[in-house]
Amino acid sequence: MSEEKFDRGSALTIFGTDRHEDLVALVLALVIALLVYLYV
Amino acid sequence: MVYTKRTPWTLIMGVIMVAYAYLVQSGALAAVIKYLGTGRHAGEMLTLGYTFGGIAILIGLWQLIAKTAEGHVDYYLSTIGGVMFIMLVAFIVKWGLDPQMAQWGRAAQPTLGFNFASVMNLNYVVMGIIAGIVIVNVFKVPDWAENGVRLSRLGLKTGVILLGALYSFAELQQLGKLSVVLIGIFVLGSVGVVLWWGARRNLPNSMTGVLSAGVGVCGVSAAVAAAPVVQAKSTEIAYTIGTILLFGVICMFAFPIIGKALGMGYITFGAWAGTGILNSAQVAGAALAFQPTGIETLKVAEIFNITRVLFLPIIVIWLAIWYVKREVGAQKVNVGQVLVSKFPLFVLGFILMFLLSSTGIFAPARHYQGSYFDNSDKVMIKKDRSGKEVNNYLKDPDLELLKKDAAKITRDDQKAALQRLIGNKKLMSIEDDDTLRGVVNAKLMSKEGNAVLVKAHRAVRHTAAKIAMFRDLIAWFFTFGLVGLGMQITMASIKQAGGQPLVIGSFVGVIKAVGSLIVVMLLVHETI
Repeated sequence: MSEEKFDRGSALTIFGTDRHEDLVALVLALVIALLVYLYV
Repeated sequence: MVYTKRTPWTLIMGVIMVAYAYLVQSGALAAVIKYLGTGRHAGEMLTLGYTFGGIAILIGLWQLIAKTAEGHVDYYLSTIGGVMFIMLVAFIVKWGLDPQMAQWGRAAQPTLGFNFASVMNLNYVVMGIIAGIVIVNVFKVPDWAENGVRLSRLGLKTGVILLGALYSFAELQQLGKLSVVLIGIFVLGSVGVVLWWGARRNLPNSMTGVLSAGVGVCGVSAAVAAAPVVQAKSTEIAYTIGTILLFGVICMFAFPIIGKALGMGYITFGAWAGTGILNSAQVAGAALAFQPTGIETLKVAEIFNITRVLFLPIIVIWLAIWYVKREVGAQKVNVGQVLVSKFPLFVLGFILMFLLSSTGIFAPARHYQGSYFDNSDKVMIKKDRSGKEVNNYLKDPDLELLKKDAAKITRDDQKAALQRLIGNKKLMSIEDDDTLRGVVNAKLMSKEGNAVLVKAHRAVRHTAAKIAMFRDLIAWFFTFGLVGLGMQITMASIKQAGGQPLVIGSFVGVIKAVGSLIVVMLLVHETI
């Protein structure tokens, strides 16, 4: 998969920066943790 | 650039997932599920099958019907095809290949003398990566899935954050200062040696960085966590994971043999295995091989092992600074600036989840990976699903059996724990539970007596449902991420990486194993 195929993100991620990807992962994990806390 | 491809495949995959869930629900696949022993996954087969299948059908229809224009909606929704493609492969790996391999391992055990699936670590981690590599190299990733494959790293990062929930601070308080110092020296030392050697051998900085974290800290999750900081390629992460697992297999066989030859005790061996073996699963394997009749070794090895995980943030900070220095060639690096700009937020997320878990909101604060001790009346006498009262205290016939077998116990601590159990009709402490599990494993008592001890153990040991859920979710995020990671590894990139990482990783692994053996023999005694 080459980088030229995508004009946004990089070959490894759809996000513009690592920080952006980290933030999405953090929010996703916290939402999951909240759901587990509330419903399990 | 428009990313959405007009393809029927997202829709087709959605129909396959929903159909699979329906077949599970209707009982049509009961024979297959029974054969593979995946009955405990039936719930997730329904939930994941219907949820992902439903989403895939909706988005698949939209992709076929709607006119897409360039923009955020096109960009993000176009990832769904790839996500579903990875999930479909992940379903096959988790519900098919993984249990099948485990079954073949058990079947071949009498002939081979060992369970090859467990020894070679042939679980969803390895099979997920292999499945991805086979797909990209044999069949090629379809163009409609390519954008979604780029979400695999997000899956791995989310998995690492959730991993923090499995640990709690209370468990670490059992550790002595010596063990923390010992682990610290070997973690930091191994990372340092790999970084130095990688630079000498002119390995790419990204390869050296990710290998150092994998070899120094705790294997797969450390490699995944360190990878973004050093801009590691998928091939480099896979190489590191391969090196760790291969080296771990050798250690699993060699450590118990060496330990026995040197006459090591349970605690000394546990400390050595927990420090010297790179991957968590193989630490447990070696500890059990050394002491199949008790759990003292396993417990020490696991405590040493989880302490390594908690060095992860320190290693990530070190690698962030090291990488910037190497890449920029700067003599002086503004550490504060590097930390602010490079430190990965998801590692902070891992710490945050660890702290949350330590407060006891997911399980009692003294839990260890979700398992906790409780012998209060509330759990000893409770109602079952039908509302009938269940009394978990030992009954008179149980106590008679224990009294009859008591003479067979010779160790003082085991005798005392057994007397406390007989006197109180329940296990009185976590220590008594551990001690008597050793009696069960050693098969010192009659079969019936052992069954009573197991019953007493089950009455006081509980698994926190929330932590069990986290464990399942982590396994899914890792499977998703690793299948996607495998899909980014071409044969050309493997050739390009060469065999150097394997040599360096294995050599540093040997240094670490020998060094920790010497230090453990000198400093760790049977009490820490």
